[in-house]
Amino acid sequence: MRNSWIIAMRELKERLGSRSFILMALLGPLIVLTFTYLIFQFGGKEQQKWHVLIVDPANVMEQKIMVKEDPNIQYSFANNYIEIEQFAKEKRFEPYDAMVEVNEKILSNKTCFLFYREKPSFNMSINIRYQVERRLEEVLAREFTKLSVSDFRKIKQPLNFAFRNVYDPKNVTGDLAGWVGLFFGAVIFVFIFLFGMTILRSVSREKTNRVVEILLATVKPRALMLGKILGIGLSAFIQVFLWVLIIGFGLYLMRETIFVDMYDASNQIEGQVSDYNQFVELVFDRVQFGVMLFYFSLFFSAGYLFYGAFFAALGAISGSESDGQQFLIPLILILCFALYAGYYALENPESPWTTLLLYFPFTAPVVAMVKLSAGFTDGDAYQLFVALFLLLAGAILVTQLAARLFKNGLLQFGHTLRLKNIIHWLKVR
Amino acid sequence: MLEIHELTKRYQRKAAIDQISFSLKKGEIFGLLGPNGAGKTTLIRIINKIIDPDSGTIRFNGDLLQQKHLAHIGYLPEERGLYKQMTVEAHAHFLGALRGMSKTEINTSLNYWLNKFNCADWRKRRIQELSKGMAQKIQFICAILHEPDLLILDEPFSGFDPVNVELIKAELQEMKLKGKTILISTHNMRSVEEICDRVMLIYQSKKVLEGRVTEIRESQKTGEYAVRFRGNMIAFVNALWIDFELIDKEILSDDRFVARVKMRGDNSFEDLLKALIGQVKIEAAWEVLPSMNEVFISTVTTENDEE
Repeated sequence: MRNSWIIAMRELKERLGSRSFILMALLGPLIVLTFTYLIFQFGGKEQQKWHVLIVDPANVMEQKIMVKEDPNIQYSFANNYIEIEQFAKEKRFEPYDAMVEVNEKILSNKTCFLFYREKPSFNMSINIRYQVERRLEEVLAREFTKLSVSDFRKIKQPLNFAFRNVYDPKNVTGDLAGWVGLFFGAVIFVFIFLFGMTILRSVSREKTNRVVEILLATVKPRALMLGKILGIGLSAFIQVFLWVLIIGFGLYLMRETIFVDMYDASNQIEGQVSDYNQFVELVFDRVQFGVMLFYFSLFFSAGYLFYGAFFAALGAISGSESDGQQFLIPLILILCFALYAGYYALENPESPWTTLLLYFPFTAPVVAMVKLSAGFTDGDAYQLFVALFLLLAGAILVTQLAARLFKNGLLQFGHTLRLKNIIHWLKVR
Repeated sequence: MLEIHELTKRYQRKAAIDQISFSLKKGEIFGLLGPNGAGKTTLIRIINKIIDPDSGTIRFNGDLLQQKHLAHIGYLPEERGLYKQMTVEAHAHFLGALRGMSKTEINTSLNYWLNKFNCADWRKRRIQELSKGMAQKIQFICAILHEPDLLILDEPFSGFDPVNVELIKAELQEMKLKGKTILISTHNMRSVEEICDRVMLIYQSKKVLEGRVTEIRESQKTGEYAVRFRGNMIAFVNALWIDFELIDKEILSDDRFVARVKMRGDNSFEDLLKALIGQVKIEAAWEVLPSMNEVFISTVTTENDEE
């Protein structure tokens, strides 16, 4: 392990000193921040105009929603019960694009449903969610506490606001937070791919310049492989950390300067109850970044270890640096499939296929992030730990097999890589 | 020091080395010879535990060779490899640490060797800034940095200019005097004659020859003698008459030659000298032993013919 650590530290120093690392650490977060800014600043310019019917038989919302009217959303209130079928089929409800169901239990279970005819745009869903939730916060703060609305917001639990198709109310589609999960999952895979390629290139280069022979005269192949994966993994972690730091700081700056949160006590004007800020809503309120980052770290580490072993083995068994490219294609396809699996999980969070993809180590990191941000249904949270366990077990198994390929392929030079070579090297202990 | 017993390694069905046994004594320089593809590199890799043998044993100072023993072995492979982006110092620290050395030990040893090889000012330079020969020197230094008890060198003289070849040879001799054991795999037969105490020749995965360099050359001598003389070549040939056969001659100047002569019948070296004295002025005369190059070629050719 000592030698693995020495190798890891050498790899880490080399990566940290490279221009590409510094460039990626700065450019990556700046690109993410730019896109975030563009989405929130200009994404809502071509907004849908919706007429929303709020069915509120208990009169919880007192037929009020916002002080300042939203030009794109017109709310109407109904104080009687309306069934989904009625809303979907009856002609009198046709002018309404969506129906928000607010019943008397909302104050205790904090669950609210919106049934739409056509899927709302990103901005529309954020705005409705935000406006309804803020109004409910006012009610909750007044009914149950002596706190001001701004103080209440600091301690509140988020509202479970589910968007469902009125014509297919049981098909639960992923919500906005799920997209954030997909973003986290995509980041995991981008990093796994980029740093996996670094492993592959590093191993190939050491084969080409024959440093590997000197190293193998001192360390075992497995220790060498683990050292490489560990060192490059640490540099990936530092890269991620820098991204989080820069993006976090950037988002904070945006909140303070561009997307000022009107609910912040310091920004609140006496008597003015509400104005909305979709940026703050999604980025700061909706997503639980602490939890997400914690699980991101776990799934990123396990996923990186799982895929990193493949990349290391591929580098070791390649006859030349270009030789590995052809065998890289299946690996890239698997990574693409994993991203698709994340999207599938976003669209079908409760599907048994999603659970299967969550347990499948190749797709687990993305699907887990999507599921985590979209939220597990009651009693299903254990799935996350099962997925993590299976991913770790898969990583250990893959590392064992990759170590065998690494050992047997590392000192083979100038050959053309064929599948039969791989099978033979897997058999040789 | 190192005992190798019936070592065999096969790649699929082909034997890379077959039932090879030999031993290295403390404080000797041992030459591992053989044509390309004979199995020398495989043998060296097995001794370095880079690959495992199919059968056979290796004992290092009496114990079965284990990973821990590698800290006492230095290795310079045939294909030189260095991290081009790293500085000489960083490289030495990396490889030294892998061999279990502390930072202080590495610094002390690195200073000593850089000064000894007149390259102290290369310390902070990147490997890519060095010439091939300079990089070779650094690689040699890295191989001996931890003062190994056993040093394995695969073609150690390739890439070096004659001055540096002599420098390396002198260093190897010095290490030998300090009790270090050195295993050299090389095609440079002159170096083998000059510095190796014993050699082993591998041919087609099998050991075909082993022994002291002088004894091997002695055993393959063909009864040739060389005479360096001043005088007339015709007079020299006439003096040989029918008792001796002139095989070859080398003209050193107008009246100075080196002639190679073979005995006929029961004639001895003394008879040759008696026949020549008075006819030419003898400067030197000696028995010609086959060079290691000749031993190598004749052994490999014989083995080929036998097949």
